[in-house]
Amino acid sequence: MVDREEILKIATLSKLFVSEEELPKLTTDMEQMIAFADTINNAEDASTDFDNINNLCNVLREDEVVPSLDRDKILGNAKDIDDGHFLVKKRA
Amino acid sequence: MSSRGNIKKLADMLESKKISCTELTQSYIDEIEKSNGELNAYVKKTPEIALDTAKKVDEKISKGEKLSSLEGIPMTLKDNISTDGIETTCCSKILKGYVPIYDATVWDILKKQNAVLLGKTNMDEFAMGSSCETSCFGGAKNPHNINHVAGGSSGGAASAVGGNIAVYGLGSDTGGSIRQPASFCGVVGLKPTYGAVSRYGLIAYASSLDQIGPITTSVEDAAIVFDAISAYDKMDSTSRGRQGAATVDTLNNSIKGMKIGIAKEYIEGVRDDVREAVMNAAKVYESLGAEIVYFDLPVLKYALPVYYILACAEASSNLGRYDGIRYGFKAEHYDDVNDMVKKTRSEGFGDEVKRRILLGTYVLSSGYYDAYYKKAQNLRGTIVNAFKEAFTKCNVILAPTVPMTAFENGNAISDPVETYLTDICTVPVNICGLPAVSVPCGFNAKGMPIGMQLIGDSFSEATILNVAHQYETAVPEAFRASDFGVKL
Repeated sequence: MVDREEILKIATLSKLFVSEEELPKLTTDMEQMIAFADTINNAEDASTDFDNINNLCNVLREDEVVPSLDRDKILGNAKDIDDGHFLVKKRA
Repeated sequence: MSSRGNIKKLADMLESKKISCTELTQSYIDEIEKSNGELNAYVKKTPEIALDTAKKVDEKISKGEKLSSLEGIPMTLKDNISTDGIETTCCSKILKGYVPIYDATVWDILKKQNAVLLGKTNMDEFAMGSSCETSCFGGAKNPHNINHVAGGSSGGAASAVGGNIAVYGLGSDTGGSIRQPASFCGVVGLKPTYGAVSRYGLIAYASSLDQIGPITTSVEDAAIVFDAISAYDKMDSTSRGRQGAATVDTLNNSIKGMKIGIAKEYIEGVRDDVREAVMNAAKVYESLGAEIVYFDLPVLKYALPVYYILACAEASSNLGRYDGIRYGFKAEHYDDVNDMVKKTRSEGFGDEVKRRILLGTYVLSSGYYDAYYKKAQNLRGTIVNAFKEAFTKCNVILAPTVPMTAFENGNAISDPVETYLTDICTVPVNICGLPAVSVPCGFNAKGMPIGMQLIGDSFSEATILNVAHQYETAVPEAFRASDFGVKL
């Protein structure tokens, strides 16, 4: 079973804040979801190694220079930019 | 059935100049204006783009040039398919204002064919949901009864096509997100084989399960759209393209002697009206000369938890990119970078997305990885093998698409696990990367559509569409249109 400390730890790993108000409902939801996920542990036959679907394998492309996306267009979606860079606040 | 537009009929009307592409497009734009307030199918309308394209098509027609199969046909894209210069939000606050700077391959293919884009359609936030109600724009409504949901996650596409305010739509299917809303809205939804259609430009939810496919009013339309978009794409490392000839050419093949399989586990536990409709369809197939074979697929009971473990694990990784720095929503007040990222994500993601990220992070975290993720991945292999074995006994599998018909608005989101159970019949196909098509097979006592799915072996889209089309020809009344939208 999952407790509140565990939820808070997972939230930190997920880069999410969980407020005190959200915690009881979220703990109940997560308990239910994990109990549901746990049902796979009743399966006896789980030794089949799964590699990929439809026998896909990596195909490497030739290392050729091709046009890339336009930098100004890419930066156009960011809230804060400066001189061709994404702007991020310094760590306090 | 005859009153709504289908692709071939509209293409004929355009080429024979019974209607101009501009008039056709305008009639859809007018109906969207009239009906979208009720249906909430579109979250972004693009009438200027649609009319510009229509003008180009009219010029081609006036010059006597031949049109390609989808040229001038009004259509939609789900709001997780990237469109250069057109806002694409995945119906999430965290992507509000995001304007892609490139086209998804499917849209690139269709744009080159002068497909008429009417707009982007509603969906559950990041395709996570079965009712369309986790959308930050509110859910799309069912055109057969607007007090019911359109289903999810591609609810907007199914609502628009079922409501006759688009001829076809492209959706995406990670665990049933094309087939389930198609079933709820009484239309056709095709989830192609994994790798048959390029995922380049589809905003990722669970990359080993996601696949783009069409939602249409007829099986023939689904075949035409699938044939157009199923090309190999070097931009998608899992792309293989369609294997074999155009599927539209074999729709009328006889299915005499074909073996149609029914797995008991698919039929148990579904509502009586749904089971009855699917078993009636089996009788229709027998009357068409097919043989019904019954078998067990006991491993199906693990498909749903396996799906949720794998999908959430992949989602927790895929959605790590939303940090407020490069695109989309950014929190306004924060202390430092870490605080900014956490506040952006906490304020930007909805509850269901957060739940799935948390579950995904949990099953991938140290101490739980072997018990959940690795075990689910191994069980995935077991399920794949069980389906391979099943296809030694039959050509296609017949199953319900959803255990029930569309639920009433607001009834889906209270209990997450209860909501997940609606996906029980659709997720095995994604786990195994198989193709499946959902087609209408009747209505319940309240007039809500019921859907069945035909599941095939990898790259057997031609077979499942052929089998689906034979049913459609035999039982056209199952494909009854809603009262909404364009009448032609």
